[in-house]
Amino acid sequence: MSRVPGWGIAMGMVHTFVRMTQAKRTIQYPEQRQEISPHHRGRLILLYDEAGNLKCETCFQCAAACPIEIIDMGGVDTKNRFHVHWGPAEQYAERREESALRRSGRPVADRSFEAWLPIDLGPLEQILIRNDYDPRRLLTILEATQQQYAYLPVSALQHISHSTGAWYSEIYGIASSYPNLIFEPGRVSEIGLCQCATCAMLGSGRIRDALVAALGTDIGGVTADGAVRFVAADCGGESRDEPLVTLDGQAQPHMTAEKAGRLAQRLRAKAAQPARA
Amino acid sequence: MTLAGKILIPLLILVALLTVLLLVLWEVGVLPALIGVVADVVTSNIDIIRFLLAATAILLFTIPTAFVIIFMELKVIAFLASRIGPNRTGPWGTLASVVAGFKVLAKEDYTPTGADAAVFTIAPIITYLASVLTLLVIPFAPGLVGLDMNIGLLYFFAVSGLSVVGLMMGGWSSFNKYSLLGGLRAAAQIVSYELPLVLAPVGVIMLAGTLSLNGIVQHQAGWFWDWYVFQQPLAFVVFFIAATAEGNRTPFDLTEADSEIVAGFATEYSGMRFGFFFFAEYVGVFVLSALTTVLFFGGWNSPIDPRPILDFFHVTINGAIDLAGMGIWLLWAVVLGVPLVVFLMTLVIWTFKSGWSFVKSLVVAFVLFNVIAAAVVLIWAFVSFEVVVGLFWFMVKAFTFAFVFVWMRGTLPRVRIDQLMGFAWKWLVEISLVNAFVTAGAILVVQQVTGR
Amino acid sequence: MTDAKTEVRSLDDPNIWVETPATIYDAIPPYPPRTEREAEFYHLRDGEMLLNLGPQHPSTHGVLRVVLKVDGERVTDLDPVLGYLHRGVEKLCEVGDWHIAISQCDPLEYVASLFSEAMPVMAAEKLLDLEVPKRAQYIRTLVWELNRISSHALFIGWLALDLGGLTPLLYGFIERDEIVEMLAALTGQRMLFNYLRIGGVNRDLNHDFLSRLGDWMSRAAVEIEQETRLLNENEIFVRRTRGMGVMTPEMALRMRVTGPNLRAAGVPFDVRRAHPYAAYPDLEFDIPTRSEGDSYARYMLRVDEIRESIKIIDQCLHEMPDGPIMARIPRLIRIPPGRAFVAVESPRGEYACYAMSDGSDQPFRLRISDPSFWNLQSVGEMVPGNLIADTMAIMASLDPVMGGVDK
Repeated sequence: MSRVPGWGIAMGMVHTFVRMTQAKRTIQYPEQRQEISPHHRGRLILLYDEAGNLKCETCFQCAAACPIEIIDMGGVDTKNRFHVHWGPAEQYAERREESALRRSGRPVADRSFEAWLPIDLGPLEQILIRNDYDPRRLLTILEATQQQYAYLPVSALQHISHSTGAWYSEIYGIASSYPNLIFEPGRVSEIGLCQCATCAMLGSGRIRDALVAALGTDIGGVTADGAVRFVAADCGGESRDEPLVTLDGQAQPHMTAEKAGRLAQRLRAKAAQPARA
Repeated sequence: MTLAGKILIPLLILVALLTVLLLVLWEVGVLPALIGVVADVVTSNIDIIRFLLAATAILLFTIPTAFVIIFMELKVIAFLASRIGPNRTGPWGTLASVVAGFKVLAKEDYTPTGADAAVFTIAPIITYLASVLTLLVIPFAPGLVGLDMNIGLLYFFAVSGLSVVGLMMGGWSSFNKYSLLGGLRAAAQIVSYELPLVLAPVGVIMLAGTLSLNGIVQHQAGWFWDWYVFQQPLAFVVFFIAATAEGNRTPFDLTEADSEIVAGFATEYSGMRFGFFFFAEYVGVFVLSALTTVLFFGGWNSPIDPRPILDFFHVTINGAIDLAGMGIWLLWAVVLGVPLVVFLMTLVIWTFKSGWSFVKSLVVAFVLFNVIAAAVVLIWAFVSFEVVVGLFWFMVKAFTFAFVFVWMRGTLPRVRIDQLMGFAWKWLVEISLVNAFVTAGAILVVQQVTGR
Repeated sequence: MTDAKTEVRSLDDPNIWVETPATIYDAIPPYPPRTEREAEFYHLRDGEMLLNLGPQHPSTHGVLRVVLKVDGERVTDLDPVLGYLHRGVEKLCEVGDWHIAISQCDPLEYVASLFSEAMPVMAAEKLLDLEVPKRAQYIRTLVWELNRISSHALFIGWLALDLGGLTPLLYGFIERDEIVEMLAALTGQRMLFNYLRIGGVNRDLNHDFLSRLGDWMSRAAVEIEQETRLLNENEIFVRRTRGMGVMTPEMALRMRVTGPNLRAAGVPFDVRRAHPYAAYPDLEFDIPTRSEGDSYARYMLRVDEIRESIKIIDQCLHEMPDGPIMARIPRLIRIPPGRAFVAVESPRGEYACYAMSDGSDQPFRLRISDPSFWNLQSVGEMVPGNLIADTMAIMASLDPVMGGVDK
């Protein structure tokens, strides 16, 4: 400690004055950016190898390791089992029946994007003209739209927003307060059952009885609420150990009569709740 | 008719009518009589008019000054910390403090529940006025004083002490314990440091023989070694420390210590009321640095006296320009000369900067011409008018001390309230008293020795 | 309580005026005191006032609420209220397996998170009786010491900020930014690293990290000197911290204070020497100790520790052995039932964990003992009698991190 009073203060002030003349450490974003090390783990991307193939094998290790359970994968695994739901069931609306990696070249539309597809806006224009483009009559407009298109497509809501001037979020908020307005096209699920001799010997009759009891209709019919259709499928002679039961065209392995009944009941229960986007 | 038309045409009609009216009145003789009456009133009460003009001028002066000092604070503290500070709003961030001022205006102005509304509202006004009124006696340049009182220094200390009333009112009337603590600390601090602040310039007063700040500056005329800082160094140190405490600046800013009592007395203030406290602090910084330069650093005197040098080289600079003698040539010079010069500069720039269009070079040439013309005018004013020289040196010195205040704020931590009061009462008061005695003794001795 | 006015008022009524009793501006709770200590604390004598340094405060080092009983400016009593940052980390560790526990324990000491990560890692290794490869031990020591330096650089900045100086914090962040970028090049993250694994570390040293480290080491000693020069001899700083918050060795041991706070009080206890782990038995370093026990001693001790850490990093770099960075363990770890106690020396003190496993792949219990929690208990003995301004200075000199205090 120096004997001169104020010496430390003076030296400190000299030091800061000298710092004033040295280089500044500010990085002028966005002209300059801080270089991120290539080893940084913060970027959420799927990596490709040199040949351009996706490296992700959906081995599920990342989802298993994630402490907040936010990673999910789609599709069936190597033993032809469905993916395991990891986490609370309500996070999983059944939107991903197939994984893009396992589709082996067969293009299948992802049904979750149906709500965003373009639609014919002519009838919607008529509805808006009838209501004078009045944003205060939004409920009337929305109900008429639902009647016209059977659900509220996103492009319809956008058009309503552009025409009437109400905010999209406002329209969405109003629509979601009413349980009769739905945002996704109603699902009609199809359960298919093969009736060929091989499948009959393997037990498709019992499955058929269980499904008839659960659905209330026989093959070729639709349930009373129009949610599940019971169709005939064709195994092409391929079935070895069990009859062919399909759900929306996708084969369901290890299906027994009880399981089929439960599946049908689940589908009907799910259709009873309106779908929300 | 367009919207612009709806506004402009009635305006033009109004202007035309007014011109006709004025012409008629002029011819009739009403207007000259009116002007005569006004001139008589003004000349008979010139002092009051001058005082009102001075008061308005300093009120208007404080706002740009506060903006400049706030900007300086932001940039200097950032530079001290190896950062850049605001550099996006305005060129090199110069509009940052202006934008901050407008932001303060736009905030919600509320009175907290339980607060004493009248006292709460008046407190910032008193603090601001206390800072602003002190500028009335500070000599900015020879002849440029708000009011040259012969008790100027006494007036200054009296009015600057009013700020503590405002701080205490603010601290008590917000229904808040933090504000209460801040207000009490403010009262203790400012009252404690009034004594060293007042006793330190006693030596200067004895040397100058007058309390008038204008007189003190005039006594320091000459070279820089005539300034009182070389004759009263201890008083300068004591005064500067006391001024830091009076202005609530770090290291004595415990009235608004943000890491302890959130914002002290100003915790519950928002919007323009906080803006008043905010401005009052920065105007106080300027005022105290101005007082330091006036008392110790020669005020508006320049550090060198150019006359002996010019006499040595037999050079006389006479800045007088006989504008009346130029007659009609002045009009031709302004109307034709300026566009011609701008056009020539445009051609030069356009030739050598091939990437620029003609319009762009025209704009650049115009701006450049204005800058050069302003510089030339300023240099001419500097050379020919004493006021400009004095104002320039005064501002340089005042802002240097403002820079030192900001530098201290960026570097030093805060003292504690008991350490602060102990320092004032146990050290500064004693040192300033000793300084006063020693100065008095020295003056007597010198008078005896030299017989004057 | 309102008196017998039973008219129903709408909240939309613009003329509503709620009578607010003045006592709600006090920190006195509306229920009668539940314990003796509460009764003693909330009984205000004449002239005393309760001041609430609430969870939102510029200098309580996180969300800490401290109720001060002040008499003018002098603090007569103190009641810290914890729990504003409680996340249930120990319970979360029980729900996932041992690997999940590593990333759950990261935010416990978010300033220097490799030390809190070490808890489940070292506990599992002890329970499995696993031998960690030498290279992994040296890498762990290296990054631990880097974390210690960055934490102490931040401490210097916070202490200065709580005392009123703005620039030392910004200088500290410049230092810390370099170290943190270095660690990002190695581990992949700047803050919550998730780098230690049961049996070793995640990744090996790479060229990016080593070049940055070498570059920094060549300047480190000089830069530390410069950063601290602003404060070491500053009269105002010294007068604010010297003699403040004096902790005697007996009080320190009684309040279970550990780390630099304990060593500044005169007790030369350091887990790296008392119960050596990782590469510390093979390295040469001193344990700085001071005997005054005040805030200034705690500050200077941490500055000394930075210098020691630089020496340790130097030795680690020079003696880094070759070999694997992780022991061979199965992907799914089932630890046989048992209990283990592990402790590391974090920049705040002794970071300890008592782990119990029941033979499954999830830990049965991870009881984490955070040094900041114990250090913070000593404010109740040190602060009363000082001024309000000293409360901040003393709390800042203890260097608490609320993530660990509340877990």
